[in-house]
Amino acid sequence: MRFGIFYELSVPRPFAPGVERTVYENALEQVRLADSLGFDTVWAVEHHFLEEYSHCSAPELFLTACAMQTSQIRVGHGAVVCVPAMNHPVRVAERAAVLDILSGGRLELGTARSSTWSELGGFEIDPDTTKQTWDEYIRALPRMWTEERLSWQGTCFSMPERAVLPKPVQKPHPPLWVTVTSPGTELDAAERGIGCLGVAAASYAEQERRTREYHRRIQSCTPVGAVNENVATLNFLYCHEDAATAKRTGMQMMGLFGLANAHLLFTREAYPTRAYGSLANLAPGPGRREGSPADPSGVPEGMAIGDPERIIRAIKEWESIGVDGVNFLLNAMETIPQEQVLASLRLFAREVMPAFAKVRGR
Amino acid sequence: MLLGTADLESFARGAPRLDSFHQGSLTLPGVELLQATFELAGPGVESLFPPGLHPTLPVLAVFAFWRADDGPLGAFTLAQLRLSCRSGARPRQLLVSSFVDGEVAREALNGRFAFGARAARVELARFYDRAQARVSLDGRTLVAVHAGAPLPLATSDLQFFASVHPAHTPKGFRLVQIDAEYAITRAERGKPVLDAFDAAGFGAPRVRPAWPVAAIVALGEVSLPRVRYVVRPDVLAFEGTEVVS
Repeated sequence: MRFGIFYELSVPRPFAPGVERTVYENALEQVRLADSLGFDTVWAVEHHFLEEYSHCSAPELFLTACAMQTSQIRVGHGAVVCVPAMNHPVRVAERAAVLDILSGGRLELGTARSSTWSELGGFEIDPDTTKQTWDEYIRALPRMWTEERLSWQGTCFSMPERAVLPKPVQKPHPPLWVTVTSPGTELDAAERGIGCLGVAAASYAEQERRTREYHRRIQSCTPVGAVNENVATLNFLYCHEDAATAKRTGMQMMGLFGLANAHLLFTREAYPTRAYGSLANLAPGPGRREGSPADPSGVPEGMAIGDPERIIRAIKEWESIGVDGVNFLLNAMETIPQEQVLASLRLFAREVMPAFAKVRGR
Repeated sequence: MLLGTADLESFARGAPRLDSFHQGSLTLPGVELLQATFELAGPGVESLFPPGLHPTLPVLAVFAFWRADDGPLGAFTLAQLRLSCRSGARPRQLLVSSFVDGEVAREALNGRFAFGARAARVELARFYDRAQARVSLDGRTLVAVHAGAPLPLATSDLQFFASVHPAHTPKGFRLVQIDAEYAITRAERGKPVLDAFDAAGFGAPRVRPAWPVAAIVALGEVSLPRVRYVVRPDVLAFEGTEVVS
């Protein structure tokens, strides 16, 4: 089991001078601690224009800072938006390779296509086309990293023969992932031989179904590059010795994040299209609260919110259904004071991590 | 999250009356729909909403037209201007202003569902290359929109959202939630063009549609179920949502 930390870099209103800097500095301090505690990966999203929800528009820069301040933890560029109006594919390949070099071969590259009208509309992107451009990017990126020179005749971009430089440290190339929000994207991941980076809530049963289907389909994939057969899910983490304190604080964080997520202007609310099905909210709804006598915590199923014992049980369940890694959101809108976030990380590392077999590196 | 900042007194002024919540449902068959969506521009969008609602970012201005050629209210054409928002975590559209061409429909829609529609000439026409709609009053055009280059979509590609109508109700001044249901049989998406908009004349002087998003051209049945919820406009929905028993 791999453990990661995951950043949206949400910023609470009012946007007072210095508040964004505080959010970034807090995150960097958490990353340094996570590195020393043995966490495996730090992920950072790419979002644009999403006031409060995510001020993480240049994740490659944040991750470069992470890489420069750590020694072991892998850096997850998760996920770069694979749409030409936001990121030309050559620039994606170049930036990723530089980050892989600077981090000493610690890059994981997530891919995505954006899901909000705020973002797509802001760049005047036709939502109908984003699946196609994403598909073209993930076929092109491994070739840009592995071929000395490359020409490309495609639908969303074309280029005469050029050497895309530099080349990444990891051979043949950094692991590729796709973010999975809509049900069904895990099949896209499997068919292309790339990792499944869950970024929305799914129940144990739903995740088990998706994971089983992913592992079945990837056996007959047409790989776009080196196969990355891994499934990671996203979770919230608040670990405290006192279960009631953990629940109160963790649920507040989760609720606030869920509310902010619900306030996003998703594409189909503005623009009718068949390219964007229903998207799942990261924060699970009230219908999925655990209510069994064995776990009367009131915390939604599978969430890593509670005392160490409860969190171990939750993650063991994820492990048993074939999930290879769990990535944690540690805070939302800075609702949890920094010292408590750090304490939660330390307690998790001390009491929870030893219950799981360590898979280090690649 | 951003909150509405509209002054409630001025917001309530001119809001229609809804004397009873218990006036049943209404089903309108064969409704031709045009829904043209634009992003709003300019600072202070939160002042367009009462404090109980959150504006989306960006705010969408939705010009929605329904034309019924027959049915329980006879022939009528309705024009609405709605603004996208959230009530708590739920997507909603705040009704800002509406007009209707058809007196029977006007009485029914206002009296049963708090549309507050004013009488005007409202036209909606669909052609194969475009759909167009217009509201005019005393010879003056209040709004004219058209949707060009229609592209067929699956009916399931469309999404509609409940609207909230400010009204003086038996519970006081409230936002009346109208959960219109749409059974669409034909769906197209076009490019919206706002040919004319007299914001003050339309009853929305501070609404400035600026950036075209998309237009829906559709045919289907529209049902207006009985009112089930109202929301206090002065507090957040988590506190201010009231069930109409």
